[in-house]
Amino acid sequence: MSAYIEVGFCNIKGSCRFSTAKICFAQNVTRKNHWTRFTFRAHQSEAVEHEKRFFSLPRPTSEDSVRLFVGLPQDAVSLGRNTINKTRAIVVGLKALKLLGVEGVELPIWWGIVEKDVMGKYDWSRYLAIAEMVQILGLRLHVTLCFHGSKAPNIPLPRWVSQIGESQPNNIFFTDRAGHHYKECLSLAVDHLPVLHGKTPVQVYHSFFESFKLSFSSFLSSTITGITIGLGPNGELRYPSHNQLPSNHKTKGVGEFQCYDQNMLNFLKKHADESGNPLWGLGGPHDAPTYDQSPNSNSFFKDGGSWESAYGDFFLSWYAEQLITHGESLLSLATSTFSDTGVHVYGKIPLEHCWYMTHSHPSELTAGFYNTIKRDGYEPVVKMFASNSCKMLLPGLDKSAACQPHEPLSSPEMLLEQIMETCRIHGVKVSGQNTSESGALGGFEQIKKILCADNVLDLFIYQRMGACFFSPKHFPSFTQFVRSLNPKELHSGDEKEVADSPTKNPESSVGLWPKPCLSSNGPMVLLSKVLNPYKYNSCDAEP
Amino acid sequence: MSTVALEPLLHLCTRKPSFHTQTPILLRPFFLPTRSSNLNDASFIFCQPRRTLSPVPAASLTDTPTLQCPQTTTNTFAFNRTQMVTGKIFVRLDRGKDMKDWELMVGCSLPGKWVLHWGVTFLGDAGREWDQPPHDMIPPGSVPVKDYAVETPFKKSSLYAEGDTLHEVRIDIRAKNGISAIHFVLKDKEAGAWYKNETRDFVVSLVNYLYADSDASKIEPKRGFVFWPGNLWQIYNMFPKSKAGENESSEYRVSERENNQPKGFYEEVYVTKKVLVNNSISVSTKKCFESGSVKDLLYFETDLPGDVVIHWGVCTDASRRWEIPPPPYPPGTVAFKDKALRTQLRGIEPRDGGKVYSAEIAIEEGFTGFVFVLKQNENWFKYLGNDFYVPLSISGSLPSTGNKEDLKEGLQIEEPSQENYLFAFTDTIANEIKNIVKGNFYEKNQKIKSKKAQQSIFEEIERLAAEAYNIFRISIPTFFEPTTAKPEATIVVEPETTIMVPEASVESETISLDPKICSGTGTGYEILCQGFNWESHRCGRWYKELKEIASELASIGFTVVWLPPPTESVSPEGYMPKDLYNLNSRYGNIDELKDLVKSFHEVGIKALGDAVLNHRCAHYQNRNGVWNVFGGCLDWDDRAIVSDDPHFQGRGNKSSGDNFHAAPNIDHSQEFVRKDLKEWLCWLRWLCWRAKYRMPVPTLKEIGYDGWRLDFVRGFWGGYVKDYIEASEPYFSVGEYWDSLSYTYGETDHNQDAHRQRIVDWINATNGTSGAFDVTTKGILHTALEKCEYERLSDEKGKPPGVIGWWPSRAVTFIENHDTGSTQGHWRFPSGKEMQGYAYILTHPGTPSVFYDHIFSHYKAEITSLISLRKRNKIHCRSTVQISKAEKDVYAAIIDEKVAMKIGPGRFEPPSGSQKWSLAIEGKDYKIWEALLP
Repeated sequence: MSAYIEVGFCNIKGSCRFSTAKICFAQNVTRKNHWTRFTFRAHQSEAVEHEKRFFSLPRPTSEDSVRLFVGLPQDAVSLGRNTINKTRAIVVGLKALKLLGVEGVELPIWWGIVEKDVMGKYDWSRYLAIAEMVQILGLRLHVTLCFHGSKAPNIPLPRWVSQIGESQPNNIFFTDRAGHHYKECLSLAVDHLPVLHGKTPVQVYHSFFESFKLSFSSFLSSTITGITIGLGPNGELRYPSHNQLPSNHKTKGVGEFQCYDQNMLNFLKKHADESGNPLWGLGGPHDAPTYDQSPNSNSFFKDGGSWESAYGDFFLSWYAEQLITHGESLLSLATSTFSDTGVHVYGKIPLEHCWYMTHSHPSELTAGFYNTIKRDGYEPVVKMFASNSCKMLLPGLDKSAACQPHEPLSSPEMLLEQIMETCRIHGVKVSGQNTSESGALGGFEQIKKILCADNVLDLFIYQRMGACFFSPKHFPSFTQFVRSLNPKELHSGDEKEVADSPTKNPESSVGLWPKPCLSSNGPMVLLSKVLNPYKYNSCDAEP
Repeated sequence: MSTVALEPLLHLCTRKPSFHTQTPILLRPFFLPTRSSNLNDASFIFCQPRRTLSPVPAASLTDTPTLQCPQTTTNTFAFNRTQMVTGKIFVRLDRGKDMKDWELMVGCSLPGKWVLHWGVTFLGDAGREWDQPPHDMIPPGSVPVKDYAVETPFKKSSLYAEGDTLHEVRIDIRAKNGISAIHFVLKDKEAGAWYKNETRDFVVSLVNYLYADSDASKIEPKRGFVFWPGNLWQIYNMFPKSKAGENESSEYRVSERENNQPKGFYEEVYVTKKVLVNNSISVSTKKCFESGSVKDLLYFETDLPGDVVIHWGVCTDASRRWEIPPPPYPPGTVAFKDKALRTQLRGIEPRDGGKVYSAEIAIEEGFTGFVFVLKQNENWFKYLGNDFYVPLSISGSLPSTGNKEDLKEGLQIEEPSQENYLFAFTDTIANEIKNIVKGNFYEKNQKIKSKKAQQSIFEEIERLAAEAYNIFRISIPTFFEPTTAKPEATIVVEPETTIMVPEASVESETISLDPKICSGTGTGYEILCQGFNWESHRCGRWYKELKEIASELASIGFTVVWLPPPTESVSPEGYMPKDLYNLNSRYGNIDELKDLVKSFHEVGIKALGDAVLNHRCAHYQNRNGVWNVFGGCLDWDDRAIVSDDPHFQGRGNKSSGDNFHAAPNIDHSQEFVRKDLKEWLCWLRWLCWRAKYRMPVPTLKEIGYDGWRLDFVRGFWGGYVKDYIEASEPYFSVGEYWDSLSYTYGETDHNQDAHRQRIVDWINATNGTSGAFDVTTKGILHTALEKCEYERLSDEKGKPPGVIGWWPSRAVTFIENHDTGSTQGHWRFPSGKEMQGYAYILTHPGTPSVFYDHIFSHYKAEITSLISLRKRNKIHCRSTVQISKAEKDVYAAIIDEKVAMKIGPGRFEPPSGSQKWSLAIEGKDYKIWEALLP
C-alpha cells in the first residue's frame, strides 16, 4: 500500500501548517504529533510555494479599483452544533463568488463561540476550517472579531461573561436612564477595570487577539488581509443608544444616553467634580427624550435647547470622549498586536443618519458622536483612527434619504460625505459595507454612486451570503453589480503562473494542496462528505 | 405492475464485505429462472476500497531484487450491476384437500421478499371492493392493513415438480364465508415495489366456483371467465400506458391459459424485476524491472462476465486527469480518442472453479495513479460515480522504509477512517478547484477568452448560486397552513346544467388580425409538432437528432415543438421524474437541451417542455420502508404526497384529482410544493436566471423552454395549473387531460358532451391560461372513421362535437401521441385513415398537433401540403366552421369561408354559389378546396 501511504503522508505534511494551533492535534496520539513536527521544517516551504503557484490569489489590486468582499453568514459557525452550518452551501457559494471575481469574504468570529465556556480556552477549529476553505478557493478573508452578542442569529456573549453579568449587571453592562441593561456588549466603562475574574476586558481582548494571531498565523497576510475589531454594540464604536428599536412603521426616535451604569456614573461624577460643577455629575441630561421620541418632545435636543448650554457641552464632550478613549484602547491594542503580520486593522463606526438635518443631530449625540451643526464630532474619532493607522469601516453605503420613509430629517448621504471628507483630510482609508441588519439586499445604484465617486474607499464588504443573497431575485443583480464594478474581466485567477504549473514531477504534485488539519474533529469529516457538489468527469466517453 | 423498481433496489441492497486479497470472491447472482440481461443503469454502492495491510507475497511474476518495494498491493473495488430477472407469478385456484372448499395459491418465482397484499369482496357487497378477509381465511403470519386488506408474506416452497416455485401463499376459501372475489397485488418488500395494475388489481372471482353447486340462482351470474381473464390481458395491455417506469423492464405476458373448466384454473404472468448483482474488480500493482526501466505492473481480475474492456489512463498529479502513457501497450489495446486506452479482458478459468476475466498492464514508472472505468457491452461501470483509481508509488522518492512503516502503522492503527476521509476530502476538493480554476486558466492561456468561455463561467456561477440558494433556503421554514382551497368543490360541475361555452360569446368578437399572445393559445396560429415518440430515448442522443431536423420542421411549417420530459427519470421515457433539477435524461444532457432549444429558436420554433407535475419518484424510504422521501434539490418529505394513496403513505392533503398509482402523487395544495414547482418551472423556462432579469449576456436570453405540455393534469386541480402558468409565463401551454369517453354497450356514445365538459372544466379551472388536448375529437374521429359513421362529427347544435366545438382556442387537436400510438398503441388511430384525421384537424379550428411518427412517414408530403394550406389561408385556433354535411359516409365543412373540406368515401362538392372553389389537395377519402379570390 505504499502509494496510499504516501498520500497519507502528504496529508499530514500539508497539515503541518496548522501545528501552531494548539487544539489541532490535541486528541491525536503523541507519536503522530511527534512525527508531524519532525517533518514540519522539511516540507513546509515547499508546500507553501506550490500553494502560491496554484492558488493564485488575485493580484494586488491597483489603487483605483475597489476590492469587493462578501460577508459569510453570521452563523456560519453556530453556538450549538460542533459543525459548520451548511458547509456545502458555503463552499458552493464561495466557488460562485470566486468565479465571479469577488476578491474575498468576510467572516464574523464571535467571542461568544470561540471563548464560550471558560476564560482563556479558545476553540478556533471551525473558523480555521472555514479559513482553510477560503484559502483553498483562492479567495481572501477579512475577519471580524465580534466582542458583542447578537439576537438573530442567537449568539450571546460568552457564558462565563454572562454569568458575571447576571451577578452584577449594574457593573458591566450599558445601562439607560430607566435602568435597563444592554446585555449584548460590555460597557466601555469597564475597559480597564478587573471585572472579569480579576482581569480587565482589555486584557481579555488582548489574549483573544494573541490566540487568534497564533492560531491563524499561517493565514495572516496571505489569506487574511484585514481584521475588523469589534468596538461595541453591533461591532460599532458607539453607545447602544437605539437598542430599543421602534415598532414597525413608527418613526425612529432619537435614542437614549447610556451613561447610567455604576462605573459610568462614577466617571461622570469624578469628571464633574474636576470641572468644578459637582451637580452636573449626578446623572445624564434630565430633559432628554426617550428612545422613540422625536427631538422636540423634550427640551434637550430642541433648537436652542439644553444641548447648546454649558451643561450640554460639558456632558456631550465627556460622553463622546469616553467613546473615543474606548476606541483608542482597543484599536491601539489591535494595531500593536497585528502590526507585524501585515494585516490591516479596521474599526467600524455607525452611520447615525437619523435627524441629521436638525441642528442638534440627536441620534449621533446619543450614540456618542458630538457632531452638531456647530462642530465636527467625527474629527477626533478620525484622528484617533489615524494615530493608530487603522482603516475605518462605514456601514450603510446603500442608504439614501429617499429610501428612509420612517426616518425623518435623515440624510445618510450627507453624513457619509462628512465622515469621508474628514477621513480624507486625515489620511484615513475608508471601507464600506451595506446595511446588513436591514436584511434587504440591493441598493446597488446607491453603492455604485459612492464607490465610483470616491477613491478614498479601499474595500467594500457586501453583506451577506445566505438564501436571500443567492435567490433568483437577488443574485443576478449582484452579478451585474460586480461586473459593472470590474467590467474588464471575468476573473478567476492568474494566468501566467498556470502556464508552467502542470508538472510532471509527481512528488510536487502530491504536496500541492493544503490539507485540512482537523482530522480529529467533526467538521472535517463533514466537509469531506459535502465538498463534492459536482463531479468532474475526467473520462470523456460518457456512460 | 412493477412500479418503482430501480431506485428502491439500490438503497436496499445490503452491503457485503469486500475484503479480498488475491482472487476476488465470486458473487453469484441469484438463481435466475429464465433470461437475464443487463440494464444500462449500473450503480454502485460500495464506499471505501479496502487496503491490504500486509504485503501479499508476490505470485508468479518475477521480481527484481534491486527494487526497494517488491510488494504487491491489491486494491479490490466492489461495484454493483443491475440485471433483469424474469420470473412468473402464478395464480391457481384448486379444490382443497377435502374437495369441498377451495384453495387459492399465488406463487412467484422471482427472488425477493414478497408479500401478498390482499382483500376480499363479500357477496352482495356492491360498494366496496376491498375488505378485510374473515379470520379463518387469513394464513398465519399475516399482518392486517387497516380494515381493508391483509399482508401475507410468501413462503418458500418447492412443491412443484420443476422445482422453480420459490415463494407462494395459499389461502383457504370456504363457501360459508360468502366471498365473491379476492383482490390482490404483490409487493416486493425488498425493493418497495408493487406489482399491480395501474388502476386495477389482480382479481379472482369465486362466484362460479364456490357457489356453482349451491343455490346458484340467488347469485347474480357473472359472465365470461371466472378468473376474469380480461384482467390479465388488461394488465398486459394497460401496463405500458401506465408509464409505470419499468416499461422496458416489465413485460407481462399471459403465457398459458390452461383451462377454464369449473374444476379450477391456473394462470401465469411473466414478470420482470431488476436485481443488483455484486461484482468486484481487484487490481494488484507491483514494480517490475523490464527492458531497462522500472515499470508498474498492474494485474486486473474481475468476475464481471462477458465482453469487458478496461478503459484506462494514467495521471501525473493529484488531479486525476486522464493522460495516455507512452507505448508500448499490452496486446489488444486500442486508443480511444486520444484520451484513453482500451484493453480487453480475457476470460480465464482458475483452479477453484468459476470464471474470471483478467488483464495485465505494464506502464512506465513515474505516474502517480492509474485511472480506469469498466465497459461491459454498452454498460459503463464506475466506482461510486467516479473513476476507479489506483495510486502508484514512486520507488525512489519515498522516505526510508522504516519511517514509512512507522507511518503506515500509525495511520492504520490510529484513525484509518479519518485518514480515508481526509484523503477523500483533499482529493475531491483539489480536483474540483483545479478543474474550475484551471479550466478557466486554460482558456485564458489559449487566448480564447471568447464570449463562449465567459458564458460557461457564467453558467457555472449560476449553477453554483442555484445550489447554494437551495441549501440556504431549506433551513428557512416557510410552511404555511395549507390554504383551505376546496378544489373538489370546483371540480364537480354538473356537466348537463352548466355547460361552459365561453368561446362562442366572447371570443368570436375578439378575433382580430393580430390576436394577442396568451399562454392558452400562443398567437392563435400555432401548429404543434410532437417531437418524439415512445422509443426516442433509445438512441441516447435524441436532442442531437432533433437538432438536425429543426430546420426541416420549420420548413414544413411548425411553429411549436413539444420536447420529451427532460428530467432525470426512473423510466427511460422520462415520465417518472425523480430529481427535477437534474436535466440529464436519456434524451441528452442539459447542454444538449439548451443547444437544441437554441437551434429551434434560430429557426423560429418555440419549444415546449414536457412537465410532469402530478407525480414524482422518491429517493428514499421512510421509517416504514415506504418510498416517500424525496432527495435532490427538492427534498420534500411525505407532506408533499397526497394522503389518499395508501401505497405511499403521504401526509399531505387529499388529492385534488385522480391518482396515478405508480408513483407518489404530489400534493399541490401544499404551499411549499407549489413554491418549489413554480421556481422549477421558472428555472426551466429561462434555464438561467439572467435571461429573466436581463443580465448583460444577450445571446443567452432566448434559451429555455417557451412553454409547457403538462402531463397527467387529471391528477390535480386546474387552479394550481393556473398558478404555475402565471408564475412561469409560458408562451404556450397545453395539458393532458385524458380520461375515458362515454360508452354504452361497448360503443362510443354519439354525445360526448360529458367528456368534453370535463376537459373544458379543467381549462376553465386554469382560467384559460392553458389549452388541453382535444381527446374528445380524437375519440369521435376514431368511431366515425372506423365504423363509417361520419354523422358523429356534428353535435346536436351543428358544431364540431369535440372540445373544438365549445372552446376551440384552447383545444389542441391531435390524432396520435406517444401513448396512443407509437410502440405503445394504447388507443391507436384507425390504421390507414390517419390522413383523414389530419385533413380534419389541420383544416379545423383549435391548435393542431402532428405526431412525429406521422411526419416522418409516407404521409409527410400530404401533411406538409395540409399545413401549408392552413397557413396560406390563415386558419387559426378560432376559425369558424360551417358544417355542410354530416352523413353516414361523408363529413364536409367550410372553414372561415375560405377552405372547404370533406372526409369519408361519400360525395361532396362545395356549393358553387357566390364563391368559386378550386380543389387544392386530394387524398384517400378526403378532398380540400380553397376559395378562389373573386
